[in-house]
Amino acid sequence: MRDEHIIEMLERGPLSELDEGELAAVRAHGARCEACARAYEAARLSALMLRERAAERFEPSPFFQTRVMAALRERRAGKESWSLARLWRAAGALVSSMALTVAALAALTFLGPAAADAPSDAPDIAAVSETYPAEELLLQPDEVSENEMTYEQVLSTIYEAGE
Amino acid sequence: MGQASDVELVRLARGGDEAAFSEIVRRHSPRVFRTASRFFRRREQVEEASQEVFLKAFTELESFEGRGSFEGWLTRIATNTCLNMLRSAKRRPELTLSDLTEDEGAWLDTHTAGAAAERHERAVSSAVAADLADRVLDTLSPDDRLVLTMIDGEDAPVKEVAEATGWTESNVKVKAFRARRRMREALEKLLG
Repeated sequence: MRDEHIIEMLERGPLSELDEGELAAVRAHGARCEACARAYEAARLSALMLRERAAERFEPSPFFQTRVMAALRERRAGKESWSLARLWRAAGALVSSMALTVAALAALTFLGPAAADAPSDAPDIAAVSETYPAEELLLQPDEVSENEMTYEQVLSTIYEAGE
Repeated sequence: MGQASDVELVRLARGGDEAAFSEIVRRHSPRVFRTASRFFRRREQVEEASQEVFLKAFTELESFEGRGSFEGWLTRIATNTCLNMLRSAKRRPELTLSDLTEDEGAWLDTHTAGAAAERHERAVSSAVAADLADRVLDTLSPDDRLVLTMIDGEDAPVKEVAEATGWTESNVKVKAFRARRRMREALEKLLG
């Protein structure tokens, strides 16, 4: 039957820290308990594998130092341009609205009075209405109203009446 | 520059002296590589993580108060940077017997048989064991990986793990206890 005391011993610390008495107890129990024997076997393999894994080391390449310094310069340059972009984004709306306000004020200041003094291209409505009938203002010179008679029609009408 | 103390180099680097920081990189890169090797197995991953550690260290130089050793301060940055990199990566699902390579299966067979370990050439056997360990560790949490690699793999004292991570010693003990259980259970499943 699985002994929690044995399992607890396996998990309390690295297997290498178990003393001879504890190891003997684990093995003795494992001889008659399959579950604990399997747990001990897994713990033993785990310790073996972890040692092999921990023994693996990488040494820095001769170019590592140069690579880090290049990355550092790149990151600093990126950060500076990013900061400027962020500043512009934050101030952009304010600067744009200020520029629009200045432009509007300038337009009102310089163009407003000049526009008032300038001669108007629009026709004088009162003078026009006195000189020309409304029909002539609305129709082009070459256009003829449907109801208007031509000179020949007027003459023929008079002669026909005389006959 | 090579004779300057770490504290002096930090002071110069804070003032924008690139040569001083370059000397820090040269001096401490073996240790940072060693820390990164606990988390990553491929050389390019170790190199990338180590580079990230130095870039982070540069931005945090102001926080080094000089009360403890610079090496200890840098190791903590290295450990936490690597832990965060692993935490953001997707963890591998549970490893099953069918996922093992032929060599890994053979290694398990020979080593469970006990004295048959000599059948394999030592160098090949070590590489396969390390590979298998890494694959099992990939299924655990980054914290589990760290405590198992340091305490059970390197025989590092609990205090050293606490200093490298910023965890309390009792927290390290609890984490190690639970990590051993999870590693053992993962292996028991593989053994069938």
